[in-house]
Amino acid sequence: MATKRSRDDHLVLWDRFRYARQRLTAVAPSVTKSQVAYLLISPFFVLFGLFLLFPVVYTVYLSFFEYQGIGQGNLFYVDFGLFHITFPQIAELQFVGLGNYTRMLGDSLFWQSMYNTTYILVIQVPIMIGLALALAIALNASFVRFKGAFRTAIALPVSANIVAYSTIFLILFNETGFINYLLSQVGIEPISWLRSEFWARKTIIGAVTWRWTGYNMIILLAGLQNIPQQLYEAAEIDGASRWEKFRYVTVPQLRPVLLFVVVLSTIGTFKLFAEPYVITDGGPTNATITIVQYIYEEAFVGSPNLGYASALTVIFVAIVSAISIAQIKLGGEE
Amino acid sequence: MREQRRKDAVWKFLTYSFILVMTLGMMVPLYWMIVAASLPQEEFIRFPPRLYPGTEFLNNLSVLHEETQFLISIWNSVFIAVVYTILSVLLCSMAGFAFAKYEFRFKEPIFYLILATLILPIQLLVIPLFLMMAQIGWTDTFRAIILPWLANPIGIFLMRQNMKSIPDALLESARMDGATEFQLFYRIALPAMRSSLAALAIILFLFQWDLFLYPLVILEDPGNYTIPVALSGLEESRRINFDQIMVASSLAIIPMAILFLFLQKQFVSGILAGSLKE
Repeated sequence: MATKRSRDDHLVLWDRFRYARQRLTAVAPSVTKSQVAYLLISPFFVLFGLFLLFPVVYTVYLSFFEYQGIGQGNLFYVDFGLFHITFPQIAELQFVGLGNYTRMLGDSLFWQSMYNTTYILVIQVPIMIGLALALAIALNASFVRFKGAFRTAIALPVSANIVAYSTIFLILFNETGFINYLLSQVGIEPISWLRSEFWARKTIIGAVTWRWTGYNMIILLAGLQNIPQQLYEAAEIDGASRWEKFRYVTVPQLRPVLLFVVVLSTIGTFKLFAEPYVITDGGPTNATITIVQYIYEEAFVGSPNLGYASALTVIFVAIVSAISIAQIKLGGEE
Repeated sequence: MREQRRKDAVWKFLTYSFILVMTLGMMVPLYWMIVAASLPQEEFIRFPPRLYPGTEFLNNLSVLHEETQFLISIWNSVFIAVVYTILSVLLCSMAGFAFAKYEFRFKEPIFYLILATLILPIQLLVIPLFLMMAQIGWTDTFRAIILPWLANPIGIFLMRQNMKSIPDALLESARMDGATEFQLFYRIALPAMRSSLAALAIILFLFQWDLFLYPLVILEDPGNYTIPVALSGLEESRRINFDQIMVASSLAIIPMAILFLFLQKQFVSGILAGSLKE
């Protein structure tokens, strides 16, 4: 009996589905082009508004409050007859005005994290771009054989998961790790890579450079291949040396791509989180804690200072956006 | 003349040496990962270390499997990334098609609003999303990991740029033949975009695959961890050794590396497309 009823339910459901489908097909030709456009963008836009626009606004709002716990009540309740929607209060908050921002000024760990991030950035980005450019030029040279194989090998780290490669570096640079073994082979005393402030930062720089050099090389290589060959031929007729060809043809022609790669890498390194989190845990004595890592710790480790962490996020985003806008301005001059 | 030829030879030698040294440098960490993953524990802590792979990979793998839930994390990561990629590619191409081929109100302002969010770092969203998910009771679920990133600004931007290249005449003639607007999308636009869709799929898959901070905050039960979250916890758990951690890293890296070798063209076009944010 029970099975029969459920089979009937099934049939009813199927009939309903067929009916709905017939109705839709009947209506379909009369759907106007602009209605189709709205149907096509609405799923994207609902998710975009809910999970991107709203959170951005809410972060700024949150930065003026102190977080007291998850929200208990409802903000409002809308009854549509057939169904209703309740909007829960997201969090219990206490207004503190600019308190979170003034607190930042006297927060030595905030300044430390800003300093660390900038330190890593200023050393890492030039080294990586320099290597990527040199590799791109080398692999673009007409006499080099097995280009494809070399390019593949150098770009392979692009596919490495961020945390997975960080654990490899953690083990490579261990006290008794492979790097110290290599050093011992050439007569250098083992280095406490992860226990010294100086070397811990260098380890992070090395790891990030390993992961992203091939990525930048691919972009630069594409840029090099877009430079018209005639320019080099003309320079050769004028008797330009190798350096002169690089200085007066390659660099000016590649400038927009180069600039783009620099900004992309600057922002990428500014957002550093997984590498210091896994390799050094921000240590030793906070020498490698980055700004995103500090935001994470304020928000999710120990007592949740979500208001203060939001204020930190606002400042972080302001800096990243300023770099991006500077890029667009500089790139626009070309 | 001879002077010039000697100079060229030196230059060639330097270029090759540089390429070889860099290639070697890129391979060392990966090679060391495989060596470390296949050594028994006693060999691993020995100094000087052994420099060639051992035979203990499967043994280390079984210890890893007994002591942790890492193999489940691999499944979780693959599941999340695949579902996310399919849904997001569909969503982005639908919206991109609308922006490229239809006229509607506020089209330009909406598009520029989406474009403006490209410069926002995704770390910005972690705190508000965490609070939203906690409020509606979605913490520790896969839908909390997948849904917020579906509406990807890079995706819609790429799809709009590429869909513009579909000739309007082609769409018009299909309309004359009685095709509905939805048929135009999935019979003409999608097949014509095959290579851009592949590039976008790679961008989106890698984005979700590498997502770390957000799942670290959202996921609580080790049975729900994705690969990056599980890996970052292995070292702290102290229940397993470095050689087993290297097995876990190998499992995270080697399949993607193989995928990279086979789909290199798509990876490269994905990187170039993702970098072409104007």
